[in-house]
Amino acid sequence: MRFLGISFVSFVLTSVVVANAYYQKKQFYPSVVYITKSNPSMAVLYIQAFIGVWILGKLMRKIFFGQLRTTEFEHLMERSWYAITETCLAFTVFRDDFTPKFVALFTLLLFLKSFHWLAEDRVDYMERSPVISWVFHVRILSLLLLLGALDMHFILHACQSTMSKGASVQLVFGFEYAVLITVVLNIGIKYALHSVDLNSETPWDNKAVFLLYTELVMGFIKVILYIAFVAIMVRIYTLPLFAFRPMYYTIRNFKKAFSDVILSRRAIHNMNTLYPDATPEELQAADNVCIICREEMVTASKKLPCNHIFHTSCLRSWFQRQQTCPTCRLNILRSPAPTAPTNNNIPAAQPQAAAAPPPNPVPNPYFNVFAAPGPNPFNQFNQANGEMPPQTPPPTPQGAAQPQAGSVPGQAPPPLILPPFPFPIPFMVPPPVPPANLGVLTDEELRQLEGNERRNIQARIQCLINIQTMLDAAVQMMQQYNVVTMHKLQPTTSSSSSNTEVPQESQTSESEAAATSSEDANREPARDKTNEPVINSMSESDVPSSTTPEEELRRRRLQRFLQAEQQQQPN
Amino acid sequence: MAGSALRRLMAEYKQLTLNPPEGIIAGPINEENFFEWEALITGPEGTCFEGGVFPAKLTFPPDYPLSPPKMQFTCDIFHPNIYSDGRVCISILHAPGDDPMGYESSAERWSPVQSVEKILLSVISMLAEPNDESGANVDAAKMWREDRNQFNEIAEKLVRKTLGIP
Repeated sequence: MRFLGISFVSFVLTSVVVANAYYQKKQFYPSVVYITKSNPSMAVLYIQAFIGVWILGKLMRKIFFGQLRTTEFEHLMERSWYAITETCLAFTVFRDDFTPKFVALFTLLLFLKSFHWLAEDRVDYMERSPVISWVFHVRILSLLLLLGALDMHFILHACQSTMSKGASVQLVFGFEYAVLITVVLNIGIKYALHSVDLNSETPWDNKAVFLLYTELVMGFIKVILYIAFVAIMVRIYTLPLFAFRPMYYTIRNFKKAFSDVILSRRAIHNMNTLYPDATPEELQAADNVCIICREEMVTASKKLPCNHIFHTSCLRSWFQRQQTCPTCRLNILRSPAPTAPTNNNIPAAQPQAAAAPPPNPVPNPYFNVFAAPGPNPFNQFNQANGEMPPQTPPPTPQGAAQPQAGSVPGQAPPPLILPPFPFPIPFMVPPPVPPANLGVLTDEELRQLEGNERRNIQARIQCLINIQTMLDAAVQMMQQYNVVTMHKLQPTTSSSSSNTEVPQESQTSESEAAATSSEDANREPARDKTNEPVINSMSESDVPSSTTPEEELRRRRLQRFLQAEQQQQPN
Repeated sequence: MAGSALRRLMAEYKQLTLNPPEGIIAGPINEENFFEWEALITGPEGTCFEGGVFPAKLTFPPDYPLSPPKMQFTCDIFHPNIYSDGRVCISILHAPGDDPMGYESSAERWSPVQSVEKILLSVISMLAEPNDESGANVDAAKMWREDRNQFNEIAEKLVRKTLGIP
């Protein structure tokens, strides 16, 4: 109503000015000259032109959009205020070129910009509206074509003008229209995606991904445009303050699109690798309704570690925001999948696996150690104290436990390494025992025993090392006996029967392995030139120990060790 | 196929219309725009809000149900967890991450499994048992703690006002 009044007044004023000029000068050209010379009349005419643009805008809006929704109107108002402020800032840079034509071009730019904003809002609305009529499609398509054509025209015009006359304010226009044409492109792609989605009967899962990538590419193009523009402006004129706010927002949006894409990719990767597809039986057993979108799950659904089932696409969009189960808020990144453990995530899985034996046998050597002993209390001990290692540290820094844990790379040190039965080292590798009565020895033998040659010292050191190893082993064994008797005292029930059925063979090999590897490590200080290559090759063969059959490896190690011993003994 | 937010809102609307829970009416103000709903909540029995019917507006974000809707009472209501302009401050309506009052655990925040029905039921129980730890309306929280009688009086007066009884 107010607008009607204003336009009416403006129209009346214009008619009065024109009539007055014509009345005074009686002829066409003198009256035109009169009007252009008189400032008040020109002001009235400018206002009239502005009103004319306004009316045109309303008309176009009616044609292309019909009634604006409240939010669209609010967006329009908000953005136009910013745009007007920036235009005023731009005037300060180009104050030398300040002419009515210049103002008219800027008004036109604003005018077109507002239509771009409206088109963007309207296309976004497509996804949220229950009814999209064919009128909507006709309107959007024709509007996009018109805007794109106008943008192209102005870009070409700016290019030609810059080429022929050198840099001028046309630079700004060319750049602004280039940005606008990316907007048109973006809207067009969105529109195409939305219409494909609308016309398909089933939900289109990948639409979100396409939208994300479109956003990313468009953001990148815009950022490049802005940076190039600012660089050119700084070289030719001065710092373009008016371009900073949109540049800031563009860069921020680009950053957001970038992180969105990364998060989305991570979510997709997690879902593809960590979670199994839900089987039809599982879907039948459950409610069969995805609680996120409240629609039936037929295919493409995933089961989380907490057994909650959702649509893949619903989960993906949720995981972009949060990595928790929507139902029980289980942090899915912290808990590994129970059914498909790989070598990499076994250390993380171990506490869980120890607390509740996993359905599948896990390819972890320590599970054999856990399972090896026949007596049951041991299994219960494992189950009760799955996370005990800090409480039972190895007694000495060079103890048996530590070197062995180090010899199998990538495995967490388990609480129990040595099985609770007699240690076979002393019988298999007898150290050079000194005779009880020194009197029976000849002088020669005594000298040899006491002698200060290198090999005698080596033999003595070897003897001491062997004693130390045996003591360590004894301490370990005592600790284990302690623990076992402690648990024997508590009332226990045998819970896991499957674990006890491990063949006897593996027990012995375990114990041999424990013994030999502890000695391997202890022998290192006494390493000399002759057996260095052997040790080197051994440490090399240690690395793939997780892949080769362990018993074979240990047997080989034992053999090498015995050979080395034999080489030393005759000397 | 329409957008997922729209489909979910339509499904919830259908569900609420077919099996309306007691004391709750909710639906879009205009069926052309499913992202603005109006809800009517009856005051829980045995409280100072008993007998009242409180209109509220629910505004859904474009990415619903990944983000929570906003709820605002459109009548005068005096309650520790409702701002004086009618906005409801309840943890189920807060996305994990933003914590306006600085005390909520993420377990009670918004998640896509929540729904309009659950929100409204939570609001009803919030009317019955205000949480005076998080004062959205500090005056109301103080009065609730210190002068329960006056609080009840004001609440009942506003209940009569919503019903149009002098």
